[in-house]
Amino acid sequence: MSESDYPALAEISTIETAFEAAGYICTTRIATVIKLAASLEKPVLIEGPPGVGKTELAKTCAEVVNRPLVRLQCYEGLDESKALYEWKYGKQLLYTQLLKEQLGDILDGAKGLSESMDRLHQFGDVFYSESFLEPRPLLKAMGADAGSVLLIDEIDKADFEFESMLLEVLSDFQVSIPELGTITAQSKPLVFLTSNDTRDLSDALKRRCLHLHIPFPSVELEARIVASRVPDLSQSLTDQLVRFVHAIRALDLKKAPAISETIDWAKSLILLHAKDLEGNLVLDTLNVLLKYEEDIKIAEGQLPKLMATVTA
Amino acid sequence: MSDPDRHTVEQTASSDQLLAFMQFLRGKKIPVSPADTLDAIEAAELLGYADRTLLKHGLAATLAKSSHELATFESAFDDYFQIAIKKAGDASASDDPSALPDLSDKLLTSGGTIPPQDVNDPLEGLRGNALFDALESQDESALSLAIETAAAEVKVEEISLFTQRGQYVRKMLDALGDEALRAAAIEFEQSEPAAFEAVQALREQLRERVRDRVERAYLIHASAQTEDLLDESLSKVKLGNIDHSQMARLKRLMDRMARKLAARHGRRRRRYRRGKLHVGETIRKSVATDGIPFQPRWRKIERKRPQIMAICDVSGSVAAYAKFLLMFIYALQDVLPRTRTFAFSAALGEVSDLFDTLPVEEAIEKVNLKYGGATDYGRALNDFSELALAEVNHATTLIVLGDARNNQADPRLDLLAEMKARAKQVIWLNPESTRLWGTGDSEMLRVKRHCHVVKECNSLNQLARIIDQLLSDRR
Repeated sequence: MSESDYPALAEISTIETAFEAAGYICTTRIATVIKLAASLEKPVLIEGPPGVGKTELAKTCAEVVNRPLVRLQCYEGLDESKALYEWKYGKQLLYTQLLKEQLGDILDGAKGLSESMDRLHQFGDVFYSESFLEPRPLLKAMGADAGSVLLIDEIDKADFEFESMLLEVLSDFQVSIPELGTITAQSKPLVFLTSNDTRDLSDALKRRCLHLHIPFPSVELEARIVASRVPDLSQSLTDQLVRFVHAIRALDLKKAPAISETIDWAKSLILLHAKDLEGNLVLDTLNVLLKYEEDIKIAEGQLPKLMATVTA
Repeated sequence: MSDPDRHTVEQTASSDQLLAFMQFLRGKKIPVSPADTLDAIEAAELLGYADRTLLKHGLAATLAKSSHELATFESAFDDYFQIAIKKAGDASASDDPSALPDLSDKLLTSGGTIPPQDVNDPLEGLRGNALFDALESQDESALSLAIETAAAEVKVEEISLFTQRGQYVRKMLDALGDEALRAAAIEFEQSEPAAFEAVQALREQLRERVRDRVERAYLIHASAQTEDLLDESLSKVKLGNIDHSQMARLKRLMDRMARKLAARHGRRRRRYRRGKLHVGETIRKSVATDGIPFQPRWRKIERKRPQIMAICDVSGSVAAYAKFLLMFIYALQDVLPRTRTFAFSAALGEVSDLFDTLPVEEAIEKVNLKYGGATDYGRALNDFSELALAEVNHATTLIVLGDARNNQADPRLDLLAEMKARAKQVIWLNPESTRLWGTGDSEMLRVKRHCHVVKECNSLNQLARIIDQLLSDRR
């Protein structure tokens, strides 16, 4: 086992405190996986419902290890030229134009076609060198000197082909560029992949990753998260709010409110100077929590029952 | 033994135990590859074996590859290590691990110790019998070794059924040489009651260990096989004959099949196919290369997703099958997003909404309640024509599930013909066996002419095969 490049992530307890200091309350499970990722140098595949803090985890991690965060947002049709590298065509073209005169000098005195070709070959690779290479996120993350945190967001949205391309990057931390050869990361980046589970990822990709499933948090954990994110909210209101959200999640909804919605709601309650969670206030602000009309209707119908859980 | 040595022995023992656990996981349908195993062992060594929760988190990260597998993993972990702790008791790892062909179970088989017996003279005759000596002196390693050797001899890992356990215990005892002890016991029974008691106690202890070993083998090797066997037979059974007790298993099986199909067909999701040259785009792209069109761009042809409309007979005779078809289709919602479902017996109505809003089981109950009754295909097809025929187009696949027994009424096959003309394909699934088609009031032979495909469909296997074909067809 090699020395880890990320000493901040060597101990589970220090990970927990460091993340908490950075404003991310993580469970032991999360801390364990992060420690493993740093020690085994494996990417982490984070799954879970939207809004539970998958992306946030990677951002916080970058903050904790104090390395740049390189983010790659996936979408259908994402390809190598946008994820890995692209040649700077414009620059290449401009330079060939500018260097046209030089060409005369170089070829000066050459006899016949083959000799001219030979001379040109001496400079053949000039235009395909690193100075004409436009690094995209993946290459950028690998080029970072002291390591970096690479976030590949919503990998399930990318095409299957892109996923296959990622395999080389994720298992060996290297990129093959036909014109230049293979570029290997100087210092291995910490890689996070997030997935909303809209489709199954390939087994090959899954095999290369550590898996972290982040579910909705427990009442206590969520109360801690809200308290750390929205410290101005009173303790009692925080408790009421979190219990209410948990009751709502138990309903059969199109989209259950996530942590981010809980936090938004907490913030809006502060703006409204709310002291207590009471019926009318909830009715008026329900749209912060629920994003579908049908869901709001369901919740409104169940309101007395939901309110009962809060006061209980 | 020096300290570091002890440490490595413990570690080997622990990773052996891990290996056995992986085997157990495979039995629980979590695929664990050799590479996963290595990762897991590495993770476990990094985290240590002391903290069980930590170990569980670490192993979960390397072994459970989806949220679904995670749930299975967690219960498997709890089950397995609870048994392991109980079985391992205070037994220590044997001194010579390399001597055994199958290390993985060694740690788990050694039972608890019982206080040493008073030694009577008549037992002297038995001294020198290796088995007796080991039992008498409570020599853990010798006993484990003997039991493992016997286990290998009788090939206990080939155990495949619950009912074979007794047989394997017997075989192993024979292989261990229990015969000699038994003979001695019989001899002592009349003359030396104390010696008899002592021998019997030791034999009982031996039997217990052997039983544990067989139990373990069954749990690791056979319980999965038994499950497979049950699953396999269940997927062949006529769905109409499945009783309530098997529903949970069937549901699980169906979910698994549906997941498999979804994984197989959901992946190639690219909606485009290369079409003609896109002149504008090519020229725009060529700006970067001084107007030379290095990279031709192509028009994309958007592939229309197929739409499935399922029309199910929910009258008494076919209701059970309709239920399974609907459950299966809805389990595949990711792959078949625009599915519409209709139910009928006499009158027909659309039930898609019910399935969108309610859990499948509940929705099916509601459908049965609302549309159940005596069958009238003529009226049902008529209702369907009025309701949805206008929306049937060349991308629509119509699946009709019914026995085509129309109680001698006019089945309105003209409507079915019209549906065939409009739709991409009409598939009629009949839960009755082919031999019965056309007998009595069955209109199946006439129906057949107006469908692209007619299939007998009454078991989960047939259902899965048909839907697999359907999904393959679409590209």
